[in-house]
Amino acid sequence: MSKHSHRLWAEGPFKSRYDAVLIGGGIHGLATAYFLAKNYGMTDVAVIERRYIGFGGSGRNTAIVRANQRTQENVRLYDEGLKLWPQLIRELDFNMMPFNCGNLNLAHSEAAMGGLRLYVSTAKFCGVESMLLDKKQCKEVVPQLNISEDITYPVFGGMYHPPGGILRHDAVTWGLAKGASKHGVHIHQKTEVTGINIENGTVNGVETNRGPIRTPRVLICAGGYSVLLAAKLGLKLPIHVLTIQAMVSQPLKPVLDHVMASATYHVYANQTLKGEIVTGAHMDPWPNYTNNTTAHYFKHQAEALTELLPFLKGVKFMRHWAGLADMTPDMAPIMEGNEPYEGLYLDCGWGYFGFKSGPIAGKYMAEYMAKAACPDILKPFTLHRFKNFRSMGETAGPITYGPWN
Amino acid sequence: MSFVITCPICGPRCGYEFRFGNEERGQAPDQNGLTPDVYHDYIHLHEAVAGPQKEWWCHKDGCGTWFTIWRDTVTMRQAEDPEVQ
Repeated sequence: MSKHSHRLWAEGPFKSRYDAVLIGGGIHGLATAYFLAKNYGMTDVAVIERRYIGFGGSGRNTAIVRANQRTQENVRLYDEGLKLWPQLIRELDFNMMPFNCGNLNLAHSEAAMGGLRLYVSTAKFCGVESMLLDKKQCKEVVPQLNISEDITYPVFGGMYHPPGGILRHDAVTWGLAKGASKHGVHIHQKTEVTGINIENGTVNGVETNRGPIRTPRVLICAGGYSVLLAAKLGLKLPIHVLTIQAMVSQPLKPVLDHVMASATYHVYANQTLKGEIVTGAHMDPWPNYTNNTTAHYFKHQAEALTELLPFLKGVKFMRHWAGLADMTPDMAPIMEGNEPYEGLYLDCGWGYFGFKSGPIAGKYMAEYMAKAACPDILKPFTLHRFKNFRSMGETAGPITYGPWN
Repeated sequence: MSFVITCPICGPRCGYEFRFGNEERGQAPDQNGLTPDVYHDYIHLHEAVAGPQKEWWCHKDGCGTWFTIWRDTVTMRQAEDPEVQ
């Protein structure tokens, strides 16, 4: 290593005792560590990562941010999340390559237009900018969009959400690691948690492949792998872990300056600042812990994209990858603390919303862990909502409204 | 490598022809004296095994049969039934 190069963060010595141990070195774990140290002075914190930071969902998502969800509880959280990015970029002094390009969600039936009206109403109620567009207005937003009648699912209209956009996910991971490390947090990569120790109903440490750590607080924030960690405690969660695939094209000249999504075609696409078209959305609907990609989806993606954006015909894909999405029955996350054991915290079940929520979830989970009291904004995301049969209404949206109903 | 499931009627077919049912959870809880907690556990909680598990599939784009197989969730391969030796 040349003497000029330096790492963004220091690993720190592996200690046998910490004030808090966060399992999972992704955006959620690193953000929680950063805010614990910065906002609450809890600097004796370790982030434990089985592979390397950003290996999981944090480095496999498509880096889209937005606050156009269905329910008020979610929109409020994601809206605060959107407002946190610029502040975080300044604080961390790290360029996360934000591109505030706005999101366009397409509807391909009258039923889906009705669904989008509900979304727009929720947004207006929460003071978030979102508007309903007819198909000609959609074409004004994305001039390349095919609004002709001769495609499988002709476009009826859409919802435009200007506050949304994209960032660079690796930069978010690295920036948060830099910030956490600067405040004294230890980041231990290639360290696997093999067990969580409970004594008299209270967390008292974790077992790792590098030795035991004593700690009164443990946060499980390992994305899709969280259910396996919870299982080590005999704790079952209402989560199915599925793979979601994404791919990226060769770089093109700037041509698509919005995130465009269609629930009916199961596709979304945006152009990064490097010029590549990033596209994804297909989920293999059977639980598994692999990162397998499939030719089936590659073909589906090419068909859907070239119908909606015909200029992409002949463009080559460069890379294709998959990551895990931990899906809850109501498509909303689980954020819980001191349940069922004192000192055990959960931040999981994010499905495919884990990237956009990372820093804001970290900020509030840090408050939860530091004060041992649930912040008001996180209260709707309790694990108990399932036991009380009070699921959130996040699934009551256009995703389930297609031309077929 | 593609994901192949063996339908008891049609034989080995591409995994995308099938619909995943759920992991095998045994009999539904008895309706008599059913408590909300028991019902919650039955409908919402999963074993989410990392490894071989017994599960339900439907050959939706084929014969329509519902059947169980063993599948390893870490390798995405159909696995041997451990009880058949």
